[in-house]
Amino acid sequence: MQSDPLAIDLLGVPLKNPVIAASGTFGFGREYAALFDVSRLGGISGKGLTLFGSPGNDGARICETPAGMLNSIGLENPGVRKFAEEEAPFLRSLGPAVLCNLGGHSEEEYIEGARQLNAADFDFLELNISCPNVKNGGMAFGMTPESAADITKKVKAVTNRPLIVKLSPNAPELVAVARACESAGADALSLVNTFLGMAVDVRAKRAVFDNVYAGLSGPAILPIALRMTHQVCRAVQISVIGMGGISSAEDALRFIMVGASAVQVGCATFAHPAAMLDIIDGLSDYCKTENLGSIHDVCGII
Amino acid sequence: MAVILANEPLAPGVFRLDVTGAPTGRAGQFYMLRLPGVQDPFLSRPISIFEVNPASETLSFVVQTAGRGTAMLSALLPGQPLEVQGPYGNGFPLENGHAVLVGGGVGTAPLFQLAKELRAANPNRRIDAFLGFRETAYLADAFERVADRVQVNVGGIVTEEVDFSLDATYYACGPLPMLRAACTAAKTADAKLYVSLEKRMACGVGACLGCTCKTAHGNKRVCKDGPVFAYEEVADAI
Repeated sequence: MQSDPLAIDLLGVPLKNPVIAASGTFGFGREYAALFDVSRLGGISGKGLTLFGSPGNDGARICETPAGMLNSIGLENPGVRKFAEEEAPFLRSLGPAVLCNLGGHSEEEYIEGARQLNAADFDFLELNISCPNVKNGGMAFGMTPESAADITKKVKAVTNRPLIVKLSPNAPELVAVARACESAGADALSLVNTFLGMAVDVRAKRAVFDNVYAGLSGPAILPIALRMTHQVCRAVQISVIGMGGISSAEDALRFIMVGASAVQVGCATFAHPAAMLDIIDGLSDYCKTENLGSIHDVCGII
Repeated sequence: MAVILANEPLAPGVFRLDVTGAPTGRAGQFYMLRLPGVQDPFLSRPISIFEVNPASETLSFVVQTAGRGTAMLSALLPGQPLEVQGPYGNGFPLENGHAVLVGGGVGTAPLFQLAKELRAANPNRRIDAFLGFRETAYLADAFERVADRVQVNVGGIVTEEVDFSLDATYYACGPLPMLRAACTAAKTADAKLYVSLEKRMACGVGACLGCTCKTAHGNKRVCKDGPVFAYEEVADAI
């Protein structure tokens, strides 16, 4: 029997396919598990956690933009302990590989969060140093090679899982940040988180979001995210998970062809809850049409 | 994929869409509507059920044009396809006894299916409908068929006409100032009131946390935990 060309190995963990639900767009799997067969996904990255949890931001939290959306959710989450007790077992029961996304406001919070998560059931720690919607910390850790390397090194020293560092496209020197994370011990990188954007309500004569700036995602960002993924894949040896506006199998292939070992899909799920299943089927068809033994035969060909 | 059966104008900027498809859902629930194959606008539009009609296997929505997405819905012609995802949300609880419905503008729409369900549950109960509109009234004829009393207010403040001291269950849906007034009146009269909230939504199913409402009992998702809430829960949050 031939093996499934979509099956991949990511840092020693087998994934059914390279399609992963992006953090912050899939909760902890409960809502979408009621709507489609989520067991078919390659992986699920849970909602970004902070050590003690957070009620998230006040005011408007989303605003539609041309072919995309801005969000300012502000990492509303139940906290590490509640996640470990109440969400992780359910997430695990769904079947796909589980990425636990961890954010923070301070170095101590990241380290203690990672330490406490060592007892929880999941496959990868995805270090979120790129959330643009929390006032202190968050994206600040991912903005310079020095700060990114520092937090990567410290979290790597305490976590007992493979460490994926999620990068911000807002870093002035993204490739340098990527290289610094690799040198500091990251096992893989995921990119991109959202682009810092803004919306203005002209009738109210004020910014739409209480935080003024918010994170842009959706098809509108795809070409820039793809370019950044290409640049980072050329610069590092470790695995890269690409994302940014993917809403079709062709979009996923674009990221794979520039070097991404796997992809994450975010807002496309908002438009069509089962979008990732269509992407998986499309990738499968592509492998058949192109007679590929593995989807990774076209990984990094550009 | 649903298909448009009719697109009828009801008032300037307000229209009723009748579509084919599995007519499921209860009063107060909503569907996410979007044009197939369209990436811009990117998000689906959450629209409450106006009427579920199992006999003709149709669903109806009443929509107010508010931006690009609803403008595209307003231009749909019979025979054209429409993606309808749902039904989502909790819906109105059907309480026994006298029911008083208070609607403002396009917020009157979900109260029609509610009136139908209340009537079906108890043909002899009393149903009063207070419908407020800024400039042009619509849907009053539909309510006349199921309610005992229909009072229409154009240009005024509809909640001022409602006696909140009756032994009844009150249901309200409409613009925020109207809901706030209803909550204040219900609190003063110690009335039982349910309000249906509206918020911008991305996913519609409780995953994105974009429509969170900070309530007396912690964060609630309008799409998943609502859109219908007991007024005590959300009065301070709206």
